[in-house]
Amino acid sequence: MAHKHTGRIAGVALAAALAAGPALAQVSVDPALPEYKPVKGVSGTIKSVGSDTLNNLMTLWAEGFLKVYPNVQIEIEGKGSSTAPPALIEGTANFGPMSREMKSQEIDDFEKKYGYKPTAIPTSIDMLAVYVHKDNPISGLTLAQVDAIFSKSRRGGHDQEITRWGQLGLTGAWASQPISLYGRNSASGTYGYFKEHALFKGDFKDSVKEQPGSSSVVQGVATDRWAIGYSGIGYKTADVRAVPLAADASSPFIPAAPEYAYTGEYPLARFLYVYVNHKPGSEMDPLRREFVRYVFSKQGQSDVVKDGYYPVPAEIAVETLEKLGIR
Amino acid sequence: MVWLTGGALAVALLMILGLLLLVLAQGCTTFWPVPVEQFDLHDGRVLMGEATRSERFEPDQSLLDQLDEESRLRAEDRRTEGDGTIQRRLLRIGNYELTGEHFAWISDYEVAQRERPPWALVVERLEWGRFYGEPEAFLLDGEVVADTPESVWAAFNEHHAAARRRWEARRRLEVHEIGRVNARQEAARIALRKAEIDHGAESTQAAAAASRFESVQREVEEEFAHLREKIRDFNEENARYVLVLRTAQGQEKRLEAAEIVRAYPANQLSLGGRAAVYFSRWGEFLGDNPREANSEGGVFPAIFGTVLMTIIMSLLVVPLGVLGALYLREYAKGGAIVSAVRIAINNLAGVPSIVFGVFGLGFFCYLVGGTIDDLFFRAKSASGPTFGAGGLFWASLTLALLTLPVVIVATEEALAAVPNSMREGSYACGASKWQTIKRIVLPRAMPGIMTGTILAMARGAGEVAPLMLVGAVKLAPELPGAINSIAPYFHVERSFMHLGFHIYDLGFQSQNSEAAKPMVFTTTLLLIAIIAALNLAAAWLRLRLRRKFVGNQF
Repeated sequence: MAHKHTGRIAGVALAAALAAGPALAQVSVDPALPEYKPVKGVSGTIKSVGSDTLNNLMTLWAEGFLKVYPNVQIEIEGKGSSTAPPALIEGTANFGPMSREMKSQEIDDFEKKYGYKPTAIPTSIDMLAVYVHKDNPISGLTLAQVDAIFSKSRRGGHDQEITRWGQLGLTGAWASQPISLYGRNSASGTYGYFKEHALFKGDFKDSVKEQPGSSSVVQGVATDRWAIGYSGIGYKTADVRAVPLAADASSPFIPAAPEYAYTGEYPLARFLYVYVNHKPGSEMDPLRREFVRYVFSKQGQSDVVKDGYYPVPAEIAVETLEKLGIR
Repeated sequence: MVWLTGGALAVALLMILGLLLLVLAQGCTTFWPVPVEQFDLHDGRVLMGEATRSERFEPDQSLLDQLDEESRLRAEDRRTEGDGTIQRRLLRIGNYELTGEHFAWISDYEVAQRERPPWALVVERLEWGRFYGEPEAFLLDGEVVADTPESVWAAFNEHHAAARRRWEARRRLEVHEIGRVNARQEAARIALRKAEIDHGAESTQAAAAASRFESVQREVEEEFAHLREKIRDFNEENARYVLVLRTAQGQEKRLEAAEIVRAYPANQLSLGGRAAVYFSRWGEFLGDNPREANSEGGVFPAIFGTVLMTIIMSLLVVPLGVLGALYLREYAKGGAIVSAVRIAINNLAGVPSIVFGVFGLGFFCYLVGGTIDDLFFRAKSASGPTFGAGGLFWASLTLALLTLPVVIVATEEALAAVPNSMREGSYACGASKWQTIKRIVLPRAMPGIMTGTILAMARGAGEVAPLMLVGAVKLAPELPGAINSIAPYFHVERSFMHLGFHIYDLGFQSQNSEAAKPMVFTTTLLLIAIIAALNLAAAWLRLRLRRKFVGNQF
């Protein structure tokens, strides 16, 4: 009897350990989201130009959409968030995915041509992660430290420039090693977001190795033991580790795990947007309307999970659809 | 001197061969199936998957200090055995919807037991990537019809092929039949919009077009309803066959047989079985559309786009380049202007390719394409540009411009090599200048011109940077210029996929970069093979031409 009892406790403890382990912390789609149901009369071309962070996600959505409407044509281009506003203004794209909000200059340019502002659709949630090599023992960083590592302006208030791992408290072989920096190129929304929120609008150091894609930042960090870089959480591989971050020295380190994305505790959580040219009050054409509905359906949001990002809660979906006049 | 020249050649060959061998070795092994291993870890986790690579690493002391007492002792033992390093393996664990990871590193000291489960299945699916698990049951209409691994596997094999055929039949219906109906509807919609633009929304023409659109719409809805019914039948039939797998962690997962592209018991395959999986994967890679944001499936649209673009480019650049060279060599009188033109052409060859891309985007796409849209496609372009954005034709034209100097220079050299005595002989017989060029000079210069064409094709097919601006995109499964049932048959205004851009995309932008890396090599291998094939075809043509004219010489 006693034996059996112990066995059960061990079993429960094991299950608890499994559930807590990162390997099983899978995000799930809000069950309140509707299933996508096909409607009649959808045809045309989906042309998307914009963010590289959202590139794969747009492709997954397009593939899913194509399954429902097999003869819709899709063309997807993702060379950086900054390419989205010109494409929307020129009319060369009907969707402009962006991993940051549009700048006021970009909104002005758009308004000058159309007389109304572009509409931002918050489609999913990303945590901008600071990655280090998988062997790096660092336990966490404050934003001020991140700023002192990446920025030459040091607006975060750290008293000195950080160039060696020893300055972050690492010992042994790590102490004397210089930090090797990886980042994105300036067309990237991730670059813009990181500059604004982690560098407090300061300037990047010249020694940052600028990469053409989010995935190449991760690959760079994976092969360089002394490296640090930043990229969306969706690009995480087994070769890198996302460092827990703290907003300031007095707050705790928050790991880049889904539960902290929704609470807002993780300091670099952000929405991933898709911008559309929509005249307020008017009715959207069937193609774009259905695509947006697809994005906010169970299927669309499970594509988000598939790409490693976090789905939006149903309230945001409802609110956005209302804003666009989609029932 | 012999040693210097020979040595230089040897170094050059070594570099080229090294690169080719690397690509060949990495590219050819990507699709070879490897065994599935299961690792029982000391912390209770059980991981199953394909071991992809292993390495030795020097664990940092602080990392070891974080471990509990038992694991630390084990890790330290391993470290002493391995002279300060510990072995670790990268396991492809798949099952992404359950685990949230595609790959996991396992260090030696974590492993309690390692085995190769005889019934571990590798399942390649349409969505969510690979799945690793052992067969648990096979369901028909929700009823268990098989529950031992052998019988489940047999039942799966019995129904899988038919399920896939039904899936393909559904796919054909969706692409061809629905496509045809959609195109009809779209044409009517455009006609309506055109009538509205041309005659005003209140005019009688617009009203007539509107009523036509209404009637087309009604017919189309009927056809759609009919097609949807057929598709639903296929789906319902396919939903009857379900394979249930159990993961190493003990979770159950139901997979529809039709959603499975390929499954095999990796640890039971004979050499022949492995080869069958290997070639079946190559077949899929060469002939299928990409899936899951290009990280899986095939690259057929990219192959098609690359080849078609190269051919259109050659058709544009060769006549233009040859005629230009003819003027420069045969008609123009030497002088400062001709020298200046020659220098300009040679300089053109040195302009970075991205500059051509910017020019192509600004001039061809926006200016020329935009004007074409305004003049001819006003109705169609209301919802998006037709010619006014990057597309296959503009890309071909941009590359034609890029490769023009190669063709001109090669043709000029070939024309110069035709002896003057032959020209004079022709004139002496009373031939005019054009007759001489056509009958005497051009045929003899042909092999040289072909060499220029080959060089231009090789340069054009391998170019990527300008294409990113003028029409190559990440995903465009609709084949541009494909001969399909929908008129007009050629759609050269559409953007297209390109193998070179595909390599860039896989290498730098893929979400699952660990799985995409081997695909980079495979795609590179394919691109090199295609360029080699195009070159060989041109070389064969040159050989034929040369033989033909050698016979004529006297």
